[in-house]
Amino acid sequence: METKYSVIGKPTGNVDGMAKTTGEGKYTFDMYLPNMLYGKHVRSPYPHAKIISIDASEALKLPGVKAVITGKDVPGGKWGLWRRFRELCDQIALADDKVRFIGEPVAAVAATTKDIAAKAVELVKVEYEILPGVFDPLEAIKDDAPLIHEDFENNINATRHIEWGNVDEGFKQADYVREDKFTLFPQAVVSMEVHNSLASYDKGTGKLTIWSSTQSPYYLQLGLADALKMREGDIRVIKPHVGGGYGGKNSTMPDATTAALLSMKTGRPVKVVFNREEEFTTTEHRMGLHLAIKIGLKKDGTILARECKIITDGGAYTGLGATALYLAGIFQTFPYKIPNWRYDAFRTYTNKVWATSVRGFGAVPTVYAAEVQLDRAAKEMGIDPLAIRRKNLMEPGYEAPGQYKVESCGIVPCVDKMAERIKEKWPKLEKDEGIGYAGFAYMSGGIFNWIDTPYAYSGARVQVNIDGSVDLFTQAADIGQGHNTVAVMICAEELGIGIEDIRLHPGDTATAPVDLGAWGSRETLMNGNAIKMAAGQVKQKLVDLARAKLGENIAYDLVCREKRIYLELRPERGYSYYEMVEAAIKLNDGEPLIGTGHYTPHNKGMISPAYGMGIMAMKAKVDRETGLVEAKDVLIVHDCGQVINPLGARGQVEGSVHMGLGYALTEEMPNDNGLVLNPSINDYKIIRQRDMPQIELLDVPTYDPSGPFGAKEAAEATISPTAPALANAVFDACGAEFDSNCLKPERVLKAIREAEKNQKNKAKAKK
Amino acid sequence: MKNITNSFEYFSPKTLEEALKLVSQFDKEGKDFKVVAGGQSINLVMKQGVIAPEAVISIKGLSDMDYVKFDEKAGLKIGALATHRAIERSSVVEKKFGVLAEMEHNLSSVETRNWGTVAGNICHGDPGGDVAPVLIVLNANVKMAGVKGERTVPAEDFTLDFYETALAHDELVTEIQIPTVPPNTGVAYTKFSQVVGDFALASVAVAITLDSKKDICSDVRIGLGSVAATPLRAKKAEEILRGKKITDDLLAKAAQAAMDESDPTDSVDASGEYKRELVGVFVKRVGKEALERAKKA
Amino acid sequence: MKQELKFKVNGEERELWIDPKTLLVEVLREELGLTGTHWSCDTGACCCCTVNVDGMAVKSCSMLAMQAYGREVTTIEGLADGPTLHPLQQAFIDNWAFQCGFCTSGQIMAANALLNENPSPTREQIQLQLDGHICRCTGYNMIQEAIQDAAKRLQKSKV
Repeated sequence: METKYSVIGKPTGNVDGMAKTTGEGKYTFDMYLPNMLYGKHVRSPYPHAKIISIDASEALKLPGVKAVITGKDVPGGKWGLWRRFRELCDQIALADDKVRFIGEPVAAVAATTKDIAAKAVELVKVEYEILPGVFDPLEAIKDDAPLIHEDFENNINATRHIEWGNVDEGFKQADYVREDKFTLFPQAVVSMEVHNSLASYDKGTGKLTIWSSTQSPYYLQLGLADALKMREGDIRVIKPHVGGGYGGKNSTMPDATTAALLSMKTGRPVKVVFNREEEFTTTEHRMGLHLAIKIGLKKDGTILARECKIITDGGAYTGLGATALYLAGIFQTFPYKIPNWRYDAFRTYTNKVWATSVRGFGAVPTVYAAEVQLDRAAKEMGIDPLAIRRKNLMEPGYEAPGQYKVESCGIVPCVDKMAERIKEKWPKLEKDEGIGYAGFAYMSGGIFNWIDTPYAYSGARVQVNIDGSVDLFTQAADIGQGHNTVAVMICAEELGIGIEDIRLHPGDTATAPVDLGAWGSRETLMNGNAIKMAAGQVKQKLVDLARAKLGENIAYDLVCREKRIYLELRPERGYSYYEMVEAAIKLNDGEPLIGTGHYTPHNKGMISPAYGMGIMAMKAKVDRETGLVEAKDVLIVHDCGQVINPLGARGQVEGSVHMGLGYALTEEMPNDNGLVLNPSINDYKIIRQRDMPQIELLDVPTYDPSGPFGAKEAAEATISPTAPALANAVFDACGAEFDSNCLKPERVLKAIREAEKNQKNKAKAKK
Repeated sequence: MKNITNSFEYFSPKTLEEALKLVSQFDKEGKDFKVVAGGQSINLVMKQGVIAPEAVISIKGLSDMDYVKFDEKAGLKIGALATHRAIERSSVVEKKFGVLAEMEHNLSSVETRNWGTVAGNICHGDPGGDVAPVLIVLNANVKMAGVKGERTVPAEDFTLDFYETALAHDELVTEIQIPTVPPNTGVAYTKFSQVVGDFALASVAVAITLDSKKDICSDVRIGLGSVAATPLRAKKAEEILRGKKITDDLLAKAAQAAMDESDPTDSVDASGEYKRELVGVFVKRVGKEALERAKKA
Repeated sequence: MKQELKFKVNGEERELWIDPKTLLVEVLREELGLTGTHWSCDTGACCCCTVNVDGMAVKSCSMLAMQAYGREVTTIEGLADGPTLHPLQQAFIDNWAFQCGFCTSGQIMAANALLNENPSPTREQIQLQLDGHICRCTGYNMIQEAIQDAAKRLQKSKV
């Protein structure tokens, strides 16, 4: 396709490539400071217990132990991400009165070596009074259930009601109504870099510097300020390269608070690194939930009404779980027109580690239920599964009253392209193979301001130096998704220069303007807009100067492209970028050219300024004797607006599908009275190379007016259709129905037998 | 991250004699020691703190015992320090004992196979280990040495219980011996796991020898992994096939017998009941494959 | 009691005294400052920590450092030729074969061992070699493409 852009839209190698392929790039995990101590947590073996006493005397006697801290040493109070509602800020640095899940930190030690720290942890004696625990949300809401947080009646942490249209009337008018129930299992995050932080407290100035594996330096700054009772500005958060986040590194976690507290206590740098077991048992995951869903359709397949009720297993604290509850009810409606919609959701506290944002945040479990149910309805009604989807698709300008408005919307061409391609791609299926479809959509960053930030949602600062080189400052977080590359591409495009002209300074709260961090696919649109604005300010200065020098009519447009500033219609009339920069700085009394940009969505509803969307088809094969399901091939048609970096977009799609396949096939977190039963990569099964299918990705370009150069969300959405597409493929292949995700062979075999039994019964009934 | 927290004395003998002397001396002294070859399992157990030996004897340097040898008469000899990778890539193994190479392809990762040894794998005594069922059907023997001398036990008798083997404290495994596969024999193996290369939910190896007319099953061995406290030889299932013409029906009967012989337990991944079903499915499938191979042999 | 470890790392002779319980990954990262070798799963199940020992891909978290005595270890830091990246490194960048990059050192070192013994591997051979490597970002396909690309580059450079 002909493009007017010289940087964006072109496949561009990762700007962090050198750092990440040579071992030179440093993650927090790779950092060691002189005189550094190692911190480690003493953790609760009980899911719910009162702390009677903590005796650290033996630990303190061990040579090399420099400090032991408990809840009493924490100067600050509770923190959380739902700062708009303070009662939901329920996290604490170290439990001081009681513990609420197995593995909750009750004390921490700092020692000169990690071995001494490990030994010291064993020597801290904690006396508990065991309290009855509660582990399932349906048990948690019972009147006689033990209370996990005293102020929350029936352990209800958050509720959400969303409704539009007239749902009861919609069901009345429907020709076909069905109800289904599902239980969706939690999914672990499993970032390859574990949670870890390195804190260094300056006794002289009372200021703290912390390096941490985080998705949001700003959120960490806020969390630490609450936990340590310090001013945000006295805490400098630096985010080095981050070895994966996927939603699991938004909350301020004890690695950071403990490193900071121990550094403040000892006056030495302290590093806290979780081990993998701590990662599985004490850090956040995707919510598990029980769900009931009802759909009403006309004979022709038009959806008239849908209703969904969920109760989620929230775990001991809030995290971003309350947000997930909201998004679950919103993205379950996408990418379809649901004229009448009612959603009721409860998030319960349980005595487990808690649930939060995880890739596809909110959408993944509820989209599963909706897309699987749609196929069951289609089959019973005798409608083709792709056709029933085609019948109900959103169109540009579609509005859900009081919630969201969809501006750019390429879902109709996506589904049409899918229908065409599928015929060529999979003309014939082998025995026991099936095809499953699922639609998808996701946000380009969230709007509802639960963090209660007074700052713009994203900020950036551009400084252009005398030689034309650019320093770009922003707190926007690259956690692997490739935003650093996107950021410099957008800056370069706006200034008409190359990415090699730009030095990016990301993720440092002391030097860069605030950005809310990497979650909900927000960086490209939100930070992209801020960068474009900052670069645009400098560009304007250069254009004004060039126009004045050229003595041109004000009506003539000038452009910055290919390192020149020139008249768009007469390209030979213009100057080099470098020439103009030098002249502008000299004219400016020697001050470098500074541009600042900020972005906050306004008048875009409650959810997001823009939505990426599309459709997935999956081919799968079932072994009817063992129940083993093989994901054979994947086809995706995606509308993600103007693609900034096609390489990065494809990479994110591949990754989303991979994590989605794990959710579909192998990943779950079985739990026995609060104990995670598979807390290792040996036992928690992640899809490996030979199990991963190839993915064909087709693009339907659109332009979203809210995004920089028309860009919007790309790829995060593609996690949510993966599991339902797979389940639908199995349904297509053998009729087996599932009321959960994680189609491990034993479950599949059971479902196949159930389906065979039902088919026999039906055949009998016919006779 | 988890490292090994307890310190130990470390010995790296240069010869087998030296190693045996150390083993026998420590055994007499009652010292808590552990012999490590590649350490792919043992290091993990030490990291987890399950064992905390006072001394570790690394035999990785006994390069004299790092061999894979074959001659028609003596069969295949796998030295104690031969790695999985050496088996996987040996041309004679591929030609004469193809099933061993097939098994190795799906054993953990290349990294494990590069450093870990075949002998070390069986010494770990893991009932879910990949190697043992194949050794059992290949009629392998495990040779052990101590200061007092050498002895040999059949592979099927080597594992006694969960992580417990016939190897005495003051002995080392020195060699795994696999006799030449008899004519008209087909051997096949399948490991069933949720993701490729993972630990087995169940594994089945079958060796079938046909008579000269390639009609009647003159001998058969069936090995099972992950479905009991030890790798298992399904002798009752074998009885059903031995001396008969193998048909689908007969294989189904043998599969049922193998299911009865297995004694799997529930785990996080799957119920024991399901693992037992897997035994049935794979005795049939692998048996059929072995039969086909025997016909072509 | 500490014991002497002599070995070669990235072409340099190294002599140090270590507690024999120390894992190779600990020596590389904490004694020698070679932090490009990462460490992730604790149970030998992710291959993040893969280095080359005498040319073989080996997990440095599952190997006692003392077992490297007299051997030659290559880490990710030893792959580039001065400022010039190894074709594998360049191909990983050009093919977007990493995202967060945390498992990348291990992936590249395993691929390096593969290409040294098989200069033009098929996709299946790459999958087999790298099957133990867990990546939570890429879904592997682009890694496999990068390795095939690197193989082509290496062959070209040899012509």
